Amino acid sequence: MTTQKREYKRDVIIEVSTNLLFPLILLFGLYVMIGTGGTGGGFQGGTILASAFILYITVFGHEKGREKMPESVNAFFKSFGLFLYNGAGWICVLFSLATIQWLNMPAFWPVTDFVGVAGSRSFLVGYMVSVGIGLTVMASFVSQYFDLAWKEEEEMGGNEE
Amino acid sequence: MKPLTIVGLLTSILLLAVAFYAEEDLPAFGDENSAVNKAIKLFTIDADANLVAALNAGTLPEEIKNKIYDLGFIKGPTCEGCQNENYPTLEEGNYKIEYIEEGTWLGGRLYTVGGWDVLINNGEIFYDEPQQYYFITESDGKLSVSRYNWPVRVTERTEEETAMINAVTSGLADYRGYDTMGEETVILTGALGVILLMRRRGKL
Repeated sequence: MTTQKREYKRDVIIEVSTNLLFPLILLFGLYVMIGTGGTGGGFQGGTILASAFILYITVFGHEKGREKMPESVNAFFKSFGLFLYNGAGWICVLFSLATIQWLNMPAFWPVTDFVGVAGSRSFLVGYMVSVGIGLTVMASFVSQYFDLAWKEEEEMGGNEE
Repeated sequence: MKPLTIVGLLTSILLLAVAFYAEEDLPAFGDENSAVNKAIKLFTIDADANLVAALNAGTLPEEIKNKIYDLGFIKGPTCEGCQNENYPTLEEGNYKIEYIEEGTWLGGRLYTVGGWDVLINNGEIFYDEPQQYYFITESDGKLSVSRYNWPVRVTERTEEETAMINAVTSGLADYRGYDTMGEETVILTGALGVILLMRRRGKL
């Protein structure tokens, strides 16, 4: 673990408890995001995942937060979530699977014989759609927080070029 | 012609072809199997000459009424003085029965099968005009009773139609998929707007 010079004083309790809580919040967020059969859904799970990153950025600062969530990964997640959701819809439109009710038609699906129509439909609705929503929501919130924190840091003169 | 223009033209043609391909499968407006117009079949009973005569005369037989009540559609107000919320009563004078012939358009719906429509006026607190509630058809010596209602469809058919245990998820991601797509796009657009506004001076 690299030690960085900071203008503010380090608080051991906050940093250690954040390090402990960070993976647990991520796990809970994943549980809410993927467990669409029972608990939550994409929006709620994505918000919880974003809250974990926001906690981390708040405690450790902008630069260490960037190491956890690089800008390239953030941009990829942001657009990939929407791509997943719309891709599920396009699959259903193309194969008339009618999962998203984008078409209300009887099911036809090339892998029906192997997967079973009900299985593939619940897989699409439960995982592809929810994970897509969750990724977009998480990356959007984290990116907004990064942008706002950036400005504050700039005003304080901490990151001048 | 630039290569980019050619690629754009080809992509537009491909998208147009996909749209036409998908449009062939779209349910026609007024299709009785589309999400809005679908009537959920509740039960079937043996057709009787007396039952059919009663339906033609405009009264709902006691057997059908009792079966509907047995399914949990409540008879009336559950407490003293409170209003009946969602399920109007089937007492005499509250409803009227009309026979609708095959192939008629009514209320944005094409009736491919003829049958008796049960319209309820009194006791319905949300609408002034008589509302379609039950639809009775006769075939092969059996009377089958269906009900038009969105909540009934969600509670009865969610697992069969979407293969999800959770009715909320099926509503969010299946029945109202376009709505959720718009919400997600709004969130992404908000993030992009913040990026455009706040990152002017900084480096990425």
